[in-house]
Amino acid sequence: MLAIVAHAVEDLLRGIRMRRVWMALAAEDIGDQHKRTTLGPLWLLLNYLAFAGTFIFIFDRGGGGGQGYGVFVATGLLVFFYITEVMTSSVTLFAREESFIKGTTLPLSVYVMRAALQAMIRAGYALIGCLAILAATGTWPALPWLASVAGIILILAVTPAVVTCCAFLGVFFPDSQYIVSNLMRVMMFMSPVFWRASDGMTGLQAAFYYYNPFTWFLDIVRQPIVEGTMPWGAFGLCLGIGAGLWVLALVLLGAFRRQVALVL
Amino acid sequence: MIAITADNLSLTYRVRQKLTLRPPAARPPQQTGGTISGSGRHRFVQALEGVSFTLEAGDRLGLIGGNGAGKTTLLKLLYGIYAPTGGRLAIAGKVDALFNIALGFRAEATGRRNIALRGLINGWTPDEIAGRMEDIIAFSELGDFIDLPFRSYSQGMAARLAFATATSFEPEILLMDEWIGAGDAAFQKKAAERMQEMADKAGIIVLASHNPELIRKTCNRVLELKGGRVERFGGIDLLEDAEAPAGGKRKAG
Repeated sequence: MLAIVAHAVEDLLRGIRMRRVWMALAAEDIGDQHKRTTLGPLWLLLNYLAFAGTFIFIFDRGGGGGQGYGVFVATGLLVFFYITEVMTSSVTLFAREESFIKGTTLPLSVYVMRAALQAMIRAGYALIGCLAILAATGTWPALPWLASVAGIILILAVTPAVVTCCAFLGVFFPDSQYIVSNLMRVMMFMSPVFWRASDGMTGLQAAFYYYNPFTWFLDIVRQPIVEGTMPWGAFGLCLGIGAGLWVLALVLLGAFRRQVALVL
Repeated sequence: MIAITADNLSLTYRVRQKLTLRPPAARPPQQTGGTISGSGRHRFVQALEGVSFTLEAGDRLGLIGGNGAGKTTLLKLLYGIYAPTGGRLAIAGKVDALFNIALGFRAEATGRRNIALRGLINGWTPDEIAGRMEDIIAFSELGDFIDLPFRSYSQGMAARLAFATATSFEPEILLMDEWIGAGDAAFQKKAAERMQEMADKAGIIVLASHNPELIRKTCNRVLELKGGRVERFGGIDLLEDAEAPAGGKRKAG
């Protein structure tokens, strides 16, 4: 087991040393995706604003969403969109990079970090939109927001592990790309992105709330902004889930990294 | 000291049966070289088996054999893309490869940006990229086109840029899957000279090719693979034997 982890760490360290490669490629990827458009990557901001704005407008008409519903949805969508993008795009990562994996000796962590950074850049544009909605609803930065920053840092720190796990899943079980994308569509409605937990919550809704890891990742960013409190329990849980994902990612990377070129 | 020592190398991997609703008889056959053993979900490909050879500085090895013999697999194993599942591989010296020279070129980026990106992928430092940039541009003969998007290049221009970038280094150990060339007649002559220059400077060359003339011109040793195993290994005179196995001349395919 130690040898497996050592191989994974070696791959990661090589990836970190080659940071110029994945940073340049991630920036090129984002630029290429919007190269021929007039607004360029600003479309990422507009996409977020259009989606969040529509949901807030429909569900909060006449104050039906409750106090601070706009802030609740804006922060929830920011986190959930990020998680969705990371998971759905990572499942096909190694298949997309097949010619590189079979033609160069770049460590797999280069592709992982390229995908992670790409998702982070996209989320950066959505973050601007989120901050704009918060400002429009009269929500201004306060001390508890530091806890949200800590939550965002935790999510970003777990991202390479999630990318790695999803990418290996996609290599050995190609159908998973459709399973994951469908799962994330369903989870968007089963997770408290648009709906809030209520005191009398029972049955399936309670199960979807409490036994759903996405709930806790949403809470560590949202709760400090919406309620001004630190979600210690959710933070501890996310820390544990993140550590578990990193262990799994290291094992997968160490054990199967040399098999990817043969399986693709 | 530049050297390659391959001792009883083997590469075996499991054929992963993808989930499909097709009846077993209608499933497409596995496209692979080497030999296949086992059945159903427990099939294994023996891509290389018992491959042994030693190369020292000055050796130019020609890899020959039919399609699926294991030439490309052996090259990728020497490069480090595949890891051997058996035997021992010891390499002293920096290994560079010319497999797919157009790999990673981006349609929307300019030629100059593509050189920088390709350099980063090759592991060059920013200083090395800056140092080689003008030489590459001059060799590719792209002139002012270098600052236009790659997608605006003709096929010949794209090939010239890819060639100029891919061959802008001095290898210690050079692996090639077929000899590469690019461009029109004039550029091909220039490219051939560059390739010869690289080959002359490299400590060791391993060249997989179906072209016996090229092997004869470039190499001093020959290794013939068949079904992932070494059929013969020795001096260039083995090439004559390989070409005439049963009393008749055999054409390279």
